[in-house]
Amino acid sequence: MRVLVAIVGYRNLRDFSAPFAILEQLEAESLGPNVVVEDTSYNPIAVIQWLDSEPPEARFDRIVLVAAIERGHPPGTVTTWRWDGVLPLDDEVQQCVAEAVTGIISLENTLVITGYFKALPPEVIVVEIEPLDHAFGSEMSPQVQAAIARACARVRELADATEAIDWLPPAPLIRSEYQRTEGRW
Amino acid sequence: MCFKNLPVEFDEQGQPFLRGGIPNPYAAATAPANVPLQLSAAQVEELVRRNGHIKSVDFDPVTRVAGALAFHAVADLKERRILEARSVATLFRGYEVIMVGRDPRDAIYITSRACGVCGGVHSTCSALAIEMAIDCVPPPLGVLIRNLALALEFLYDHPLHLHLLAGPDYSAAIVEPTNPSLFARAKKTEARHTAVHGYPTIAALMEDLNPLTGKLYVEALHMTRLAREAYVLICGKYPHPQTIVPGGMSSTITPTVMHEMYLRLSQFFDYGKKISCIWDDITDFFYEANPAYKQVGQRRANMIDTGIFDHPDHYDATYKNAAAWGERRWATPGAVVDGKLVTTDLHTINIGLEEFVEHSYYEEWTGSGQKQRFADDPTGKPLSPYHPWNKITKPRPEGQNWKEKYTWDTAPRWDRLGMEAGSYARLWNTAVAQKLPANPFIESTGHSLKVRLPKGALPEMELEWHVPDVWNAFERNRARAHCVSFTAMVAMNNWLAVMDRMKDGDRRTSTPFEIPKKGEQRGVGFWGAGRGYLTHHLVLDRGAVSNYQIVTPSTWNASPTDRWGQPGPYEEAVMNTPLLEETDDPKEFRGIDVLRAIRSFDPCMPCTTHIHSDAGVVTREVNTCACGVDG
Repeated sequence: MRVLVAIVGYRNLRDFSAPFAILEQLEAESLGPNVVVEDTSYNPIAVIQWLDSEPPEARFDRIVLVAAIERGHPPGTVTTWRWDGVLPLDDEVQQCVAEAVTGIISLENTLVITGYFKALPPEVIVVEIEPLDHAFGSEMSPQVQAAIARACARVRELADATEAIDWLPPAPLIRSEYQRTEGRW
Repeated sequence: MCFKNLPVEFDEQGQPFLRGGIPNPYAAATAPANVPLQLSAAQVEELVRRNGHIKSVDFDPVTRVAGALAFHAVADLKERRILEARSVATLFRGYEVIMVGRDPRDAIYITSRACGVCGGVHSTCSALAIEMAIDCVPPPLGVLIRNLALALEFLYDHPLHLHLLAGPDYSAAIVEPTNPSLFARAKKTEARHTAVHGYPTIAALMEDLNPLTGKLYVEALHMTRLAREAYVLICGKYPHPQTIVPGGMSSTITPTVMHEMYLRLSQFFDYGKKISCIWDDITDFFYEANPAYKQVGQRRANMIDTGIFDHPDHYDATYKNAAAWGERRWATPGAVVDGKLVTTDLHTINIGLEEFVEHSYYEEWTGSGQKQRFADDPTGKPLSPYHPWNKITKPRPEGQNWKEKYTWDTAPRWDRLGMEAGSYARLWNTAVAQKLPANPFIESTGHSLKVRLPKGALPEMELEWHVPDVWNAFERNRARAHCVSFTAMVAMNNWLAVMDRMKDGDRRTSTPFEIPKKGEQRGVGFWGAGRGYLTHHLVLDRGAVSNYQIVTPSTWNASPTDRWGQPGPYEEAVMNTPLLEETDDPKEFRGIDVLRAIRSFDPCMPCTTHIHSDAGVVTREVNTCACGVDG
């Protein structure tokens, strides 16, 4: 099983930069020959083009996307969900593309656009950290700082265990009004 | 004399001077003559009160990720026209405030973030402002590579706008439900340029403009990739480059890099032919189907551009010689008033610039006791107290009120006129001015621009863009399509020049520099974004930034009504737009004509607007440049 661990984050935005801390941590260790760790905090159209450039025999079977998103949980909460791949209406997909090509980077846009253009691996798992501090700067809040190790551990587990997909029932695209802590965790 | 409204005259040598005998020459009383005016808020309130068919139609930002543009309009649904239009920038981003006190080199990286599409133009514009302030002249190869970088950025930008953002407004998916009779006609209308683009009918063309699935949409995604790949060869990454420095570029240029770039650039030759013919056919079809489409997005042909793409034999980074090196650019600077090119002189363009904040969430900075910092430019030409070098950004958020303040955008004016910015201004000035450097690909005729594109899969072809006799949404898009070919061949000229210099062993792309730690220096970057005019005005004090002011294309285009009641360009274009959508059912009303008008300006600030009317909500997004919200 080839696994892509990818982040969607924002530099120098305190807790919203948490995915980069996770990226650096995971890049510094070996997750095995079949796991690629990558920053995909850029235009999702370019993410598609990068994914499509992988040779057919080296396509990913699973993507673990890591992001910091406000869902209303206690700060530092790590939640995990598996996307069922159901897309919004075409009008909304087009809005996502319009935003993406003009510079908006977001987990939702990345999922919708890469999903629409069929660039995603069959298994799509999202790991989210609930942020607290939304200001410019490089330091994270203590709650989110403390969550980095937990998030890394979860990503390692998801990258390693083939059966991890069974721990999470398929779920629709999470919008900000959704809150969930379901499945194995 | 090119100024009709400012208190500035020109002597026999053409030098401007401030008209004498006026106690306060730049006072508000000096109003522009013969300009359209908004109805006052009180007049609109009265009309709404007395007429049931006059409704507010708000384009509010309902943005899933970030929002920056909203639009308020009052529509007469019986007469099918817009009575009042107010453009609202909803976010304050404050790069001017962030920059104060910093090392000027930070501007290259910080101001790049003003836009997620065109970061490179801001980096470059700040580099130009710095090199002017510190007397640092880039070597010829640095100038040429910089030109190539930005041309490639535009080759990302133009297809993106034409086929990902504006194109869907002309697609079957939109035209069929909003104007069924028009789509029926499109099915029977043969396209004129089938031999070039391959579409037998206009309807077939419209099908491929469909969002997400249309071949032209998908092709545009591919073309933006090619441009981006070529760009990162010399800029390191996109959209925020890492190799732009005062005094040139820090890129390493080799024949391999140049050939890799050419492989991608050359694919825009055929694409340019195709895209120009497509937008010629679309424009002609709509005009012939209903001449009223000429009024969609129509406004006075008032536009401004600083020019772009310097010639290495002329550019010396000085303000003193800016008028001379500006006119040697591959895209000529200029101000067009009522369709006439009135100047190509960067000094005149600069001294005619003012910014007003009567309807913006800022405090006035010229009040009592406030001394004007600079009475003139570095060559002694008079400056207004409202000029960016004199401006102080003082944000003052407050409630929205159409009579008073309603936007974070300022109201830039040139000679007190509402000017618009766009890649089309670049084309217009260059076509009329006839100042292009000698070259084999582009010819300025005085009334048109001829672009000769080499053979590819399609044969060699000469395209000709004509200065239009009416200025509207369709002409903006048509001109932008022709800008693809123009930009590709500017890039080709510069690519050949780089290869010539490399044959001679030249590899130097930048000039070392130091930031002076004493005294006060001024600089201005005169550059252009994909969507037109861009200036960064800079003042250094003992090595640190003491003032930094950015005026972007969207600052011009999204600007609010000014102190004299003159609407900004979006506002004026929307007010002139007839509602041609074929529906009498407000629930089905999409506002497509208004959206075509706004989107033709190539706004790029990612925002989603919902059109709210009394009868329901119409959801369509309007994208506008994030740089426009900077005050």
